Amino acid sequence: MIKKVEFKTYREMPIRPMTVGDMLWNLTGSWRNVRPYYDFKRSPCIVGCPTSENIQRYIQLVTENRYEEAWRTIIDNNPMPAVTGRVCFHPCMSNCTRGEYDEPININAIERSLGDMGLENPGWMAKAKATGDKKAAVVGGGPAGLSCAFYLARAGYPVTLFETDGALGGVLRWGIPEYRLPNGTLDKVVKAIIDSGPITVKTGVKVGRDIGLDKLEKEFDAVFLGIGLARSRSMDVDGEDGEGVEPGLSFLRKVNGGEKVDPGKKAIVIGGGNTAMDVARCALRSGSDVTVVYRRTVNEMPAIREEIEEAEKEGVKFEFLAAPKEILRKKGKLAGIVFQRMELGQPDESGRRKPVAVEGETIRMEADRIYSAIGEQADLEGISEAVETEWNLIKADEATGQTGRKKVFAGGDAVTGAASVVEAIAAGRKAAEKIIRIFTGRAESGEAEPATVGIDDINTDYFSKTRQTKMPRIPVGRAREGFGEIHTGYDAALLHREADRCFSCGVCNYCDNCWVFCPDVAIMRHENEYEINYDYCKGCLVCVQECPRNALSTREEGK
Amino acid sequence: MKPATMPTEELMGSGHLACQGCGATQAMRFALKALGPDTALVIPACCWAVIDGSFPHSCIDLPIYHTAFETAAVVASGLKAGLEMRGDTKTTVMAWAGDGGTFDIGLQSLSGAAERNDDFIYVCYDNEAYMNTGIQRSSSTPVGAWTTTTPVTNYKREPKKNMIDIMAAHSIPYIATASTAYPHDFMRKIAKANTFRGTKYIQIFAPCPTGWKLAPELSVKMARLAVTSKMYPLLEITDHGQKLEVWKDFEPTPIAEYMKAQGRFRHLSDAEIAGIEKDVEAKWERLLAKERMLASIPGL
Ligand SMILES: Cc1cc2nc3c(=O)[nH]c(=O)nc-3n(C[C@H](O)[C@H](O)[C@H](O)COP(=O)(O)OP(=O)(O)OC[C@H]3O[C@@H](n4cnc5c(N)ncnc54)[C@H](O)[C@@H]3O)c2cc1C
Ligand SMILES: Cc1ncc(C[n+]2csc(CCOP(=O)(O)OP(=O)(O)O)c2C)c(N)n1
Ligand code: SF4
Ligand code: SF4
Ligand code: SF4
Ligand SMILES: [Mg+2]
Repeated sequence: MIKKVEFKTYREMPIRPMTVGDMLWNLTGSWRNVRPYYDFKRSPCIVGCPTSENIQRYIQLVTENRYEEAWRTIIDNNPMPAVTGRVCFHPCMSNCTRGEYDEPININAIERSLGDMGLENPGWMAKAKATGDKKAAVVGGGPAGLSCAFYLARAGYPVTLFETDGALGGVLRWGIPEYRLPNGTLDKVVKAIIDSGPITVKTGVKVGRDIGLDKLEKEFDAVFLGIGLARSRSMDVDGEDGEGVEPGLSFLRKVNGGEKVDPGKKAIVIGGGNTAMDVARCALRSGSDVTVVYRRTVNEMPAIREEIEEAEKEGVKFEFLAAPKEILRKKGKLAGIVFQRMELGQPDESGRRKPVAVEGETIRMEADRIYSAIGEQADLEGISEAVETEWNLIKADEATGQTGRKKVFAGGDAVTGAASVVEAIAAGRKAAEKIIRIFTGRAESGEAEPATVGIDDINTDYFSKTRQTKMPRIPVGRAREGFGEIHTGYDAALLHREADRCFSCGVCNYCDNCWVFCPDVAIMRHENEYEINYDYCKGCLVCVQECPRNALSTREEGK
Repeated sequence: MKPATMPTEELMGSGHLACQGCGATQAMRFALKALGPDTALVIPACCWAVIDGSFPHSCIDLPIYHTAFETAAVVASGLKAGLEMRGDTKTTVMAWAGDGGTFDIGLQSLSGAAERNDDFIYVCYDNEAYMNTGIQRSSSTPVGAWTTTTPVTNYKREPKKNMIDIMAAHSIPYIATASTAYPHDFMRKIAKANTFRGTKYIQIFAPCPTGWKLAPELSVKMARLAVTSKMYPLLEITDHGQKLEVWKDFEPTPIAEYMKAQGRFRHLSDAEIAGIEKDVEAKWERLLAKERMLASIPGL
């Protein structure tokens, strides 16, 4: 009753002093000095993810058992969660607020669970039909190219995808070994992407050699180059050429292709990146005693931390602060290698301390196989003539992938140098979005980014300390015996245990606290949201204080 | 959206006259959600006699009998007897009084009703002073607190009265403490109380930002810290005073965090707070010892 009851004569009054109306006429909102309002913010995990997956949202959907929607949420930013859920270096987790409280959410493991569910449920992938009047060419079937093709096709633009190899996947196929990413999984991922829309695949075609870039520019309305880094960098040491010394990438290509390899009794792997780790662990699995030699220390190794730890657990040995100096041969046959002892000097442009030679100090090691994994280079045959390059990489805009040529875009390792799967995916998606904007003539949405929350914004009273849920795995002893996948994935119980740990930073997850604690019954609980009734909110701000996740903010009245 | 964590029906509405962040008001809303519409209330003089509205209005959509300061329990006895005489055995009668009306002036009528084991729920919302008349001390006011009758130069030296032990001595079927920071626990206790016949006593810690010189938004936080600092243990006494269960599953917090947020304790030195902390710790240990002792008596 919004109207106050007023008795004009005593006759109108009840015989006993009895209530006849409620208090809704009393608009206590007028007492308020400060106004609370729902104000969802950015979760830091999302900021940490190079392709900006809406991590908070999909974890929340998991807690509500809404798996398909959770999977779709990822797909909006990353078409291959089953891949990244296995191989990503997960910077999201380094940014996770919960990491500052106890242990970060195992986002990567949750992503993998959803990715695998997507593969088990092919029906979840919407099928796009060609509707656009423009078409695009994508060069390279690695993560960057697949991602770009996926988002263009999803928007209805037909894509022709050119790939040098006989199969798609790029490094995912010929670089990353099966114990981390099984070929069967990759096949399903690739198939799901290709089947999702108007994508025509042309394998065995090397653009720049078999077909010119200018021809593609003429035939298509946009061209995306996601050609990666296909060439191993040479070590530039005496004795490098000849039997027993092999680029790590070529060794991995054989292993991943199912070819028989013989890494000898004693193998030395030179380098400190993911390639070095994968070569070492593959050689170990093929029966070799393996030592990784790196010219800086473990702290500077660019490989993913977990990979280094796994390699060590499996029995790979490490020698740090040593750079190859000379490869020793006896009658042409590999005999060993001499390393120059190094020490760390001043930081270089990458911020890592530069290794410098310790004069006169060398070490000699026996070896019957040496694998170089000191870095990869782009193969720009027929490409560097057409687009501007720098340091043997393609020059392109970071945010959009646009090169100096209007219709040509590029992204992934060929632009950034050796980076990561997720960064390649992000580059492919961003280029696709830019291309679509050009095709449609629509401008970029100029929405302001919401503020990012941190640990100080979380009301930790509502969370007790818990351990991260580790992903189940086969024991190290068994892992090193073969190429079977090491990590076996969460079951439903583990998935929920970990998803339930998420703070849901800055975004309401319907915990009800604000509604429960409002002394003025001024918060309305609707179907899918809460609403503050400012007619009655007195501005006590209990809701703001008791929201565990800072999904409300305050504003002074009259300002 | 997930299912609601408490009943969505509102028997207490907006527009009421409580201050910003009033714990007593939250407590009422929770209690009514736990009991549902088949409930009649008895409210003596206290803030709640004002909060619900001015005649002829009330923010509560249930019958309320407003009564004299010292008579909550006895009016509840009479109301229940009257209902039963008219054949109504299912309406729950709930007396709802402040700490002044319970620990002090209403104690005799409560003791009488409890001794007769009259059938109603008695809730004391404990804001630790006579708030409605301007923050005078009650026997529930904790040691160290400022009130208008215990000014900072002469702050309260006497410890809070142990009302729970007094009620336990009456051998009533159910006694519990609660806190507005744990609404689901409180609602569970109210619903549980309603399953017993006889006098049930629940005392809920209900912060009063106005009387405690506390920022209103910290109301629930204080209700939580009171429990986690062991100042206000959450317990249940069943089997007519013979079984005691104390809630211990929380991360303990320092008493200073609780006291320093409230203006009513601002005059206390760190040493005085440390002294209070020692007392609280000793009381807590005695309470746990009692819990163990009662549990060790054979046949219980
Ligand atoms: C051994 C190894 C292990 C790695 N492990 C990880 C890891 O665990 N996690 C992680 O995040 N990153 C890892 N990386 C890095 C990651 O794989 C790359 O950053 C990522 O694959 C780059 O994607 P891309 O699409 O740019 O290039 P690529 O994956 O290299 O794909 C490029 C594709 O383009 C094709 N192509 C090249 N030139 C042409 C042409 N002219 N015409 C047509 N097709 C062409 C290639 O055949 C290839 O299929 C690893 C890299 C290596 C080498
Ligand atoms: C017999 C009598 N003495 C004094 C009063 C004045 N009076 C009304 S409410 C109140 C204080 C109530 O304190 P409490 O029971 O703790 O409730 P609170 O106001 O704190 O909610 C007093 C003293 C009264 N109404 N009747
Ligand atoms: S707790 Fe959840 S929402 Fe917050 S940063 Fe971590 S994963 Fe993201
Ligand atoms: S308190 Fe809970 S329900 Fe309210 S806004 Fe925050 S997360 Fe959402
Ligand atoms: S004085 Fe205290 S108890 Fe009374 S209405 Fe205000 S906040 Fe509530
Ligand atoms: Mg009081």
